[in-house]
Amino acid sequence: MIALRRESLLGLLPILALLAAWQGTVAGGLVPPALLPPPAAVFGRLGQNLVDPAFLGHAGVTLYRLFAGFLIALAIGVPLGLAGARIRALGAVVRPLVRVLAPVPKIALYPALILSLGFDDASKIVLVVADALFPILLATFAGAASVEPKLVWSARAAGTSAAATLWKVVLPATLPAILTGSRIALVIACIVVFLAEMITSTDGLGYLLVRATRTFQIVDMFVPLLAISGIGLLLNGALALARRHLLRGFPEEG
Amino acid sequence: MSATLTPPASAAPSGSTAPMIAIADLSKTFRRRDGGTHLALDRIALDVHEGEFVSILGPSGCGKSTLLYMVGGFVEPSSGTIAVGGRPVTGPGPDRGPVFQEFALFPWKTVLGNVAYGLREAGLGRSAAEAQARQLIERVGLKGYESFYPKELSGGMKQRVAIARTLAYGPAILLMDEPFGALDAHTRVRLQNELLGLWERDRKTVLFVTHAVDEAVFLSDRVVVMSRQPGRIKAIVPVDLPRPRRREELLLDPRYQRLVIDLEAMIEDPPEDLPA
Ligand SMILES: Nc1ncnc2c1ncn2[C@@H]1O[C@H](COP(=O)(O)OP(=O)(O)O)[C@@H](O)[C@H]1O
Ligand SMILES: [Mg+2]
Repeated sequence: MIALRRESLLGLLPILALLAAWQGTVAGGLVPPALLPPPAAVFGRLGQNLVDPAFLGHAGVTLYRLFAGFLIALAIGVPLGLAGARIRALGAVVRPLVRVLAPVPKIALYPALILSLGFDDASKIVLVVADALFPILLATFAGAASVEPKLVWSARAAGTSAAATLWKVVLPATLPAILTGSRIALVIACIVVFLAEMITSTDGLGYLLVRATRTFQIVDMFVPLLAISGIGLLLNGALALARRHLLRGFPEEG
Repeated sequence: MSATLTPPASAAPSGSTAPMIAIADLSKTFRRRDGGTHLALDRIALDVHEGEFVSILGPSGCGKSTLLYMVGGFVEPSSGTIAVGGRPVTGPGPDRGPVFQEFALFPWKTVLGNVAYGLREAGLGRSAAEAQARQLIERVGLKGYESFYPKELSGGMKQRVAIARTLAYGPAILLMDEPFGALDAHTRVRLQNELLGLWERDRKTVLFVTHAVDEAVFLSDRVVVMSRQPGRIKAIVPVDLPRPRRREELLLDPRYQRLVIDLEAMIEDPPEDLPA
């Protein structure tokens, strides 16, 4: 526990160094303040915005799209990964599809999504789903395929049907892999929702950045970036907590 | 040689009742990665009677585990038949409870959850299952550890949990695959004693895989000696030692010593501790 706290304190150092470099760049006159405002100005504005209902509304919209997309990706990726890994016929269908679709840059689908689903939430959520799905699906698939057979046998001998072992044994045994995939998916979801809002939107953090750019509000340009970074940090922390609770019985990883 | 050797073909039934486990002409061929085939078990014939404790003894790689997995219904035979209680084996079932060397406990469940698992699957409500599981946990000497996770236990404790988890659903047959193979010598002896105690109470049918001669003789009514490449039954040796057996007395018994020496001579390959 103490070691853990020391580690997270150490983890603060590079972030402080980054802020110091930022401050140094501005103070040293390397970049005109009109292009790069000092950190104090940005954090000050962020602080003001955090009590501004309009800004919080935009952040809320972004969070909604992010969560909706992530949860849908989870709801598709986990069952598909489990079943694909354990049911041979389904695996034969899913595997080639994943191989072909996983490397496609999903953002390239965005114009088509806008045309078919409109500018609002739906197209952005679908884009998040498309991008968050593959890390979850691939991790679940790999995890479920390598579940120790004796765990499944132990359950089968105890009377569990072959089908029921999928959620009674394979799912919990795959939980470490699913959570690892989810962690990657969450980071990707943060990036993608922001990008989608930058490309075309009337709300959300990505939209705030574009609006600030159009009106040369340099400080306001950096605030949404800090906000999405903070959201990513919080979500990652929440997931780490969930992981510690859910995997409390599993051997520690190296 | 004082041990009576029975040729494998006429695996002599010790009673007049139908065998609990009837294995006939059982072979298993694995496909090798290079496309060839590997004959792991070659025409095995073995009858095990109700209440009998039979050990399968042989060097690493002779197909002991594969044989046990096929009786368990986890692995399909390539040819031949296995009947349990007169019915052909088509898959796993709660009449046959496995215990593995690697314990194979559910890491996401506590000791109580692991032991209650089979009871819940049998349709018992949570509180009834847990009450019964607590009794079993006490019986295997783990009272007080109900809320521990497997990773928090020693190897010997884990195997006690695994045995309790299997006993919970009341299998008529225990299929034990080197259950004490991963334990230190001291723990191993303790668990052998406890298993014998449990068995003398319930008289379940036990098929017990081991590569340790002393363990086989100490526990069994009969010892099936196997040879490898291909896996065959070399001899079936009855262990006519009185029960209940006590380790201290047995070690001094010339009949025990004779059996151990004879069996050791029969296993030409030195038992390796390689995971198979
Ligand atoms: N799933 C498998 N695929 C291919 N070969 C196997 C498989 N399982 C076991 N074997 C082979 O069958 C033989 C018997 O294995 P096993 O039953 O594990 O032996 P034992 O338990 O006596 O050590 C070994 O040569 C082993 O390599
Ligand atoms: Mg083995």
